[in-house]
Amino acid sequence: MDNLQAIMPMLIVTLAAMATMLAEAFRRKDERMPIGGLGVIGLVGAIAAAGLLWDRNAVGFGVIQADNFSLFVTVVVAVIGLFTIMFSSEVVEREGIPSGEYYTLTLFSVVGMMMMASATDLLVIFIALEIMSIAVYVLTGIKRTDAAGTEASFKYFLLGSFSSAFFLYGIAFSYAVSGSTRLDALSTAIAQSASAPGPMVWLAMGLLLVGFAFKVSAVPFHMWTPDAYEGAPTVVTGFMSTGVKAAAVAAFLRVFLSAFEPLRGDWTQLLTWIAMLTMVVGTVVGVAQTNVKRMLAYSSIAHAGYLLAGIIAASAIGKSAVLFYLASYAVANVGAFGVIAFIATRERNTGELTDFTGLWYAKPMLAVLMAVFLLSLGGFPPMAGFIAKWYIFAAAVNEGFYTLAIVGVLTSVVSVFFYLRIVVMMFMSSNKAELEVPPFGIVGTLGLALAAIATFYLGILPTRLIDLATQSISTIF
Amino acid sequence: MALLSFSIFLPTLGALLLALIPNRDGSRDGLIRQLALGISLVAFALTLALWAGFDVNGAEFQFVERTMWIDVFNVEYYIGIDGVSLMLIVLTGFLTPISLLASWGSVTKKVKEFSIFMLVLETAMIGVFSALDVFLFYVFWDAVLIPMYFLIGVWGYDRRIYASIKFLLFTMAGSVLMLVAIILLAVLHQQQTGSYSFDLLELYALQIPAGTANLCFLAFALAFSIKVPLFPLHTWLPDAHVEAPTAGSVILAGVMLKMGTYGLMRFAFPLFPEAATAWAPFIATLAVIGIVYGALVAMVQPDMKKLVAYSSVSHLGFVVLGLCALTVNGVQGAAYQMLNHGISTGGLFLIVGMLSDRRHTRLIAEFGGLKSVMPKLVAAFLIITLSSIAMPGLNGFVGEFLILMGSWRSEVLLPRFTVVAASGVILSAVYMLWMFQRVNYGEVTNPKNETLPDLSVREWCVLAPVVALAVVMGVFPNIFLQPMAPAVERMVQRMERRPAITQVIPQAEAPVAGTQAR
Amino acid sequence: MTITPGHWLALSAALFTIGLIGVLVRRNLIIIFMAIELMLNAGNIALVTFSNLHQQVSGQVFALFVIAVAAAEAAVGLGIVLALYRNKETVNIDEITVMRW
Repeated sequence: MDNLQAIMPMLIVTLAAMATMLAEAFRRKDERMPIGGLGVIGLVGAIAAAGLLWDRNAVGFGVIQADNFSLFVTVVVAVIGLFTIMFSSEVVEREGIPSGEYYTLTLFSVVGMMMMASATDLLVIFIALEIMSIAVYVLTGIKRTDAAGTEASFKYFLLGSFSSAFFLYGIAFSYAVSGSTRLDALSTAIAQSASAPGPMVWLAMGLLLVGFAFKVSAVPFHMWTPDAYEGAPTVVTGFMSTGVKAAAVAAFLRVFLSAFEPLRGDWTQLLTWIAMLTMVVGTVVGVAQTNVKRMLAYSSIAHAGYLLAGIIAASAIGKSAVLFYLASYAVANVGAFGVIAFIATRERNTGELTDFTGLWYAKPMLAVLMAVFLLSLGGFPPMAGFIAKWYIFAAAVNEGFYTLAIVGVLTSVVSVFFYLRIVVMMFMSSNKAELEVPPFGIVGTLGLALAAIATFYLGILPTRLIDLATQSISTIF
Repeated sequence: MALLSFSIFLPTLGALLLALIPNRDGSRDGLIRQLALGISLVAFALTLALWAGFDVNGAEFQFVERTMWIDVFNVEYYIGIDGVSLMLIVLTGFLTPISLLASWGSVTKKVKEFSIFMLVLETAMIGVFSALDVFLFYVFWDAVLIPMYFLIGVWGYDRRIYASIKFLLFTMAGSVLMLVAIILLAVLHQQQTGSYSFDLLELYALQIPAGTANLCFLAFALAFSIKVPLFPLHTWLPDAHVEAPTAGSVILAGVMLKMGTYGLMRFAFPLFPEAATAWAPFIATLAVIGIVYGALVAMVQPDMKKLVAYSSVSHLGFVVLGLCALTVNGVQGAAYQMLNHGISTGGLFLIVGMLSDRRHTRLIAEFGGLKSVMPKLVAAFLIITLSSIAMPGLNGFVGEFLILMGSWRSEVLLPRFTVVAASGVILSAVYMLWMFQRVNYGEVTNPKNETLPDLSVREWCVLAPVVALAVVMGVFPNIFLQPMAPAVERMVQRMERRPAITQVIPQAEAPVAGTQAR
Repeated sequence: MTITPGHWLALSAALFTIGLIGVLVRRNLIIIFMAIELMLNAGNIALVTFSNLHQQVSGQVFALFVIAVAAAEAAVGLGIVLALYRNKETVNIDEITVMRW
């Protein structure tokens, strides 16, 4: 029974996905069916299952470990999926997205993310990576008639499979080193040869790093991010930017801080450079953007840099900081993309900066919520982003990475500049023309409200989540 | 009873109450204005209650409240006040309702949101002055930025967006380096004692190696110097002041700039005494340059508001000079001048705001001969101007005199600092009186000025307390100096690492309380 | 001449490099896609080689999994190419430039 218990969250979401698929298959043409509701039920069930599995350390089939770490990430990913479905239910018809396939793919992608966070075997991580990615490739191009969308989808697919091939090659070399694809076997093998690691180990580590760096969109493997985020439907972008990143960072953490732990001194140096470059490039290029989706894409690249800083400061504080940052970033980012999705009309749907002009006068609540999300991403108290950034920088300073911390805080200040651009457009432009915002219903409003409440809650009373994050770390590392 | 927490958060609770009132079409503007004023007056009453309950002879922090907030790093919700922070909190409580009342005439759109931002700003400012946990201080410090940014950016004048972003980015850039230094202090504490701590008093006791102390001091000093503002980091100030709405300018000049000097006094100097003493002459040099530079630039300004903005740079140079003198007189003068500047410059911005409300211009050339048109306004204007230039009998004199005396006898600063600073006093008289004369005396040159209304009842209620305080603070300074004396003593002792004395200077002595300590 | 694992690895590396160059240099979308498949198969060969080296089955099992995954990826990828073609009437990557820097 332990086997099934460990995979219970994933199982529930898979069942929900299959139910969605069937519902879509049996749906008569033009019949309205609350397919999204099935997804919501599945995700809520998964969160409940994760809660029940807490502190149990169930192991499934030898390769899936439902320890607190993977349960934490599972819940974060499920919450992201929930918000995405809630926001999508408003815009799916308006944007002409085939709803059945859309929800099915979203749910399957969530399964892939959950699996990626819980897997302790490289093969399973690879398969989970592919499940998650393939679903997201399709989601990116799901508006088949949109030229930008299909282009984005293809570019994402191209570079994604490219990096999967690198990842696979890296797994092959890890297999060579340890004779098994399991992470603990790899860890033992590397520890034994830690004093003189052969070329295989370096190859394995480098190739795996390339694969992960792509998925996390670290520089210089970030080139796909702006195009993919800009071309995809906005709710999909919100899903991608938070969920895929969460799963990839979780797997990255697990692989590099348990398997490659003995070689930490060597890869820390390289990763520090990557992190600093990522922070700087994400912020500096983001400042030049005029399309909000592209701007937030670069902002998510910068946030990946901060997450990497937490991985570099590999102490217990650093790891729990990464988890807390994932949670707070997810809530704020998915909320921001939700707002962008809501203000798009059929004609005006590319997410330009000028779309936000005077939003405060047309829909004040929406503008306020967007400001809350953007300020949280910028790291202002009393929002969650401030505590998250402080926690990560505290972890870095604690381990002696002063340059990293200073680069991090300075790029935070620069990034505020592009978040403020949107705020200025919303609040301070004197253009009096009323912005036309299509109506959206109670589900979307509820989603935005929950995201905003979560942002404030994590910013003012972060203790509970920080405790949970710390408990998550202690079970595996 | 958690009076201090209540004082901090009451304005925000009031703001939440205001947020619930629907006012999309502006029909309830009057109700909201009155409610906001009421809430700020209650907050002011609470600060006065704090003063009433404050033991002026006590050397320790009072009204202390302390609970664990984030236990991973031992971050606590730890607040308390001593004499200096008490006075600054009362100043905040005093100026907020005055600013709100002053904006009844000038802020007409989105009145509800304006009031909400002002009240939230008040919470953040009182929080800054009460925080004894360094992380909590930083949270409140950053929390001040957002409401002020919106106040300038939405309700300001023509170049408000540029000014508000400049203000925000400048201030934030300085403070993030301070954040790294704060984390470093907590980490050092952990290395030395085994547990993290952001408790200010424990950090005072930390043994910090000299190189690290130097860097940390510079990080802290940078953040505070940008806020003060210290020359040459002052360039955000003229733009922010000019483009801000009247209420924003009053709060910015009256309270927010004091956050910088308060930070120097409470955090930067006492946490790193050796580094501070080493850097004090350099900082004092910048302060003195600021005094003279601010005065000279103010002299040539055609815009009244910009003139007052540069006068702020000049006057706060005095405060920093007093702090850097590291003598009891100097620091006490600096603390008192913090209060004075709030009153006098706040008053100046209020008056300039009233003039610009009437004529929609702030250029000196557009006015002239106002004394015959609006005698009451000009009378108040005169008293505030004289207070600003430190005429004996008004509040500015006591402060500047103490500062000059303190820096003259300082062990850290050479006498030349005092000499140059004293010339700043003369220069400030020049530009202020010249401006005053051009605006108010002589013939009424511009026909549009002939029909301007004198002070309305509302405006009289705004100006009268300010003018009255300027006089009271000049004639009875000991009421305000006495609560601050133990805090000042403690800071100077800390700088010289002598054990703290707990006696207070009795009131029967000369009003300048510091003459005995050296 | 005995075929040592080194030879197999050399083959694998060669295939990987050819695929890599193909992705970077070729202009036709289908050819680029073929090059990616080549890279994945290079990984497969490496896995089987190491499986032989360690005298275990798991490498070969993994290779089978990868083949299945690559097939799924191929299906999806070609579907995306089809959608792209329907929009842009081209399979030349230089002409797909709706989104710029």
